Amino acid sequence: MPGLIGFYTFGEGRENWDASQFIHYGLSALQGRGQESISLATIGPGNTLHTLGGKGGVEEFFQKNKTTLPKGFIGIGQTSSYEDDYLVHVKTPYELALALDGKTDLHENRGEATKLFARQLSQLLHSEKEPLKATSMLINKIGGGYSFVALTHKQELIAGRNPLGVKPLETGSVGFDIAAVASETCALDVMGIDHTGPVETGEVIIHTPEDIRGNTPANSPSSFCSYEYVYLARLDSNVHTLPIAKIRNSIGKEMAKAHPVKADVVIGVPETALPIANGYSQESGIPEEFGFMRTGENIRAALKPTQKERLLGVQLKLNPIKSAIKGKDIVLVDDSVVRGNTLQNTVFNLKRNGAQRIHVRIGSPALVSPCPYGVEIPPRDELVSGNLNEKELANTVGADSISFMTIEELQHAIGLPRQNLCMRCFEKGAGTQ
Amino acid sequence: MRIMGIGGGAREHAIAWKLGLSDHKPEIFWIAENRNPGIHKICRDNQGELRTGRTTDAKTIVRSARGWGIDMVVVGPEEPGFHGIPDALEKEGIHCIGATQELSVIERSKADLRRLQWENNLPGKLLFRTFKNAREASDYIRKNIESQPWLQNIVIKPARQSGGKGVKLIEDRQVYLHDEKERFKEAYFDSLQASMAAYSDIEDKILVEEKAWGPEYSLQCFTDGKTVLGTPLVQDNKSAHEFDSGPETGGMGSISGPDMTLPFITREEYDKSLKIVEGIVESIQKKTGKSYHGMVGGQMMLTENEGPTVIEMYSRLGDPEALNMLAMLKTDIIDIFQAIVERQLSKLKLEFTSEDAVVVKVVAPNGYPEKRDKAKGHPVQVLETNIKRNGCYLFWGNADLHEDGQVITGGSRLLALMGTDHTLPPASARIEKTMSSVQLADGWGLYHRSDIGSQQLLAKRQDVAERVRPLYTYREEHGILGSRMGWVPRVGRIDPSHLMLQETHGPEKA
Ligand SMILES: Nc1ncnc2c1ncn2[C@@H]1O[C@H](COP(=O)(O)OP(=O)(O)O)[C@@H](O)[C@H]1O
Ligand SMILES: [Mg+2]
Repeated sequence: MPGLIGFYTFGEGRENWDASQFIHYGLSALQGRGQESISLATIGPGNTLHTLGGKGGVEEFFQKNKTTLPKGFIGIGQTSSYEDDYLVHVKTPYELALALDGKTDLHENRGEATKLFARQLSQLLHSEKEPLKATSMLINKIGGGYSFVALTHKQELIAGRNPLGVKPLETGSVGFDIAAVASETCALDVMGIDHTGPVETGEVIIHTPEDIRGNTPANSPSSFCSYEYVYLARLDSNVHTLPIAKIRNSIGKEMAKAHPVKADVVIGVPETALPIANGYSQESGIPEEFGFMRTGENIRAALKPTQKERLLGVQLKLNPIKSAIKGKDIVLVDDSVVRGNTLQNTVFNLKRNGAQRIHVRIGSPALVSPCPYGVEIPPRDELVSGNLNEKELANTVGADSISFMTIEELQHAIGLPRQNLCMRCFEKGAGTQ
Repeated sequence: MRIMGIGGGAREHAIAWKLGLSDHKPEIFWIAENRNPGIHKICRDNQGELRTGRTTDAKTIVRSARGWGIDMVVVGPEEPGFHGIPDALEKEGIHCIGATQELSVIERSKADLRRLQWENNLPGKLLFRTFKNAREASDYIRKNIESQPWLQNIVIKPARQSGGKGVKLIEDRQVYLHDEKERFKEAYFDSLQASMAAYSDIEDKILVEEKAWGPEYSLQCFTDGKTVLGTPLVQDNKSAHEFDSGPETGGMGSISGPDMTLPFITREEYDKSLKIVEGIVESIQKKTGKSYHGMVGGQMMLTENEGPTVIEMYSRLGDPEALNMLAMLKTDIIDIFQAIVERQLSKLKLEFTSEDAVVVKVVAPNGYPEKRDKAKGHPVQVLETNIKRNGCYLFWGNADLHEDGQVITGGSRLLALMGTDHTLPPASARIEKTMSSVQLADGWGLYHRSDIGSQQLLAKRQDVAERVRPLYTYREEHGILGSRMGWVPRVGRIDPSHLMLQETHGPEKA
């Protein structure tokens, strides 16, 4: 799942800003969304649009390309969990670079769909006089679930979120000189930019050297990605005005209420499940312990493209702290189960180190369908929950019990009306458009 | 009685409006650089006239005042004061409401203002440094940034008012972005030096001051030099676009009421702010030996180190803040002016409505403030009856009434719409409802800030105030208000505010 940054400057001396450095640190904060492929585009004096893309991670990319980074005072950037997934550069008829999170319905393949979208935007900007109108027309016409940032040769930074609003996008500004957009508020914080609010669903915001203009979005029903709240977004972010940390805590509490069990300790699987474990512990009164220590950098194992990398991720990530485990009945809290291998690995690891009973509590409903909007949930035949029930799954991974949150419980924990949450990955029979 | 006003913006339109409502029934004359349609009409309705001319040219002004037989002049903007217009008028024996040249230095030179505050150790000041050139500024900061950490987060300003040069706010709090910020600061020093080279009357060209954060508000006052009377607090919004983003403008709209303070400023903070303004008036009078009579204002911010703090001083009313204040004013404006002339302000009690909150929203042509040539020259269409029907008021700003009756944009802030209600959000909504009554006939776009006065923006202001208030009250309780203590390894405990006092003050008093 990509993370997006848009960086804009105003006023006298704006040509002295180096957008690439802000984008660099903004993308660093978004690498939880994936960092297989990094790309950026900037515009400097002379209005030429330069782009650069390459293999991640974020830090490696910016180190390696230190001397060849495109220089400019406005720009956009993308970090993606897919291999070879870069922002799109369209040269004619209206030159622009576009980075998109989510997926438009223009093609089966996310990359192709994004290219087609960028070309249509280029066409429209060329034929229509009013860029704001052109872009709002486009997002109202083209379905799917997506947010995007685009940079044009006329020094326009366009940020948009389609009416469904599945994917997040937030705005910020600082001083009289800088405005920015980012997939998550944590990226604004890291760039030293104050959060000003979400891009509304169906909203288009255009920054030009003369002004910032937005359309008035139509009041259409939105559907926020619940996986953002459960897993994707960073703990220190707000997604569409909701603080992630608070939601993950509520998820833990909700789990403790709905799926109680007797145990000695609560242990969360680092990193993303720790706040959920915390909530579970607070509600149940069962003490929480640190169960694992991580080696190396924080990687999101589930987002890695190959099985080997995923396992490598988990094994490096999870060295059990033996004294916390030995002889204990454990509530093991994780945020989601995709293929089940990492869970099996973890449970086995705990038992081998002397854990007694292990009750697995998953802070989201079972993943049973792929995501139509491009979140990398594998095909159904890879999804363990799509094929096994809770009991079968418990036996397979070697746990004493396992339970998932129900859709209703998750909705309650997030606190948004059911119709405003996209839960397609948790629903059987859905998942195709 | 014959009164003459100077200046052609929305602030002056509002002053003319109040003059027109006075029981003294003055005849109203005006000089402005543009033919402001609103002022033009008020003059005509009150047996006077609006004449265009240079408002900074003493000869023109004095000649007109004498020709018209004017009893009293009221100066709207700051520039005439900077150019000594009040001085010239008074020399001719014409009463003038407006700070004279020497006194208006509190606005003209931000560096002199800071010096005045430190020399007199007044509350509500900020750390500052002035520099003769860009090189000196860059070198000083590079050399001292570690021993004086405040130099990381700074505001760069021209040391004196200079043709359109803005302020730059630079927070350098992320060490990984330090090089970027440093480069930007230094480039701006260079550009300031270039544009300030023309001013040979002062040595210091560049002002660097501590970057504060907190809610801003303006306290506008009337003074006769002996008494300073405060008016309701007003908050202006400087950024061009919604939720405080985009370039700096002259002000995109303002809120006040329904009381003397704002929803996020306490009565105690009001009183302290008034004391601060009084202190500055007293100090500048002492320094120059002249009497300050006219309007004076503090553009304030609640800050962590000082509590109420001066960002800059006004030697006049604010634009658009004047609109809020005058709308709330119940006392006859000519009674106030007369009391100032007679130095009898202490006998006057100012009265303001306590029922209405006032929201003002400025409407500007696209292109303002960065590309004013694009914003200029567009024909304006206004449905005045529609505006009135919605209970709103219109004040013309940078607009020019042509002979054929057509109003043309001047490139700056075109006009302001004002709405009142019991609280701010409905007053804001009232203006939004009638916003479409203002348009440009050639299809060029206009913009305004819909967020001003909204519940959402108020909540944001409240949030900032609630974060900064405990910080300064902590300092108050610990007896360290105004200090900026820090620990620098190998240097030890430092307090830049103490150093600054020593420098401006002599060591014995500090
Ligand atoms: N020291 C400061 N700390 C924080 N913000 C500041 C500071 N000085 C100025 N500002 C911000 O910049 C704006 C403009 O600065 P000001 O000194 O009022 O100059 P101007 O003459 O352009 O009005 C202020 O309204 C405030 O928002
Ligand atoms: Mg100001």
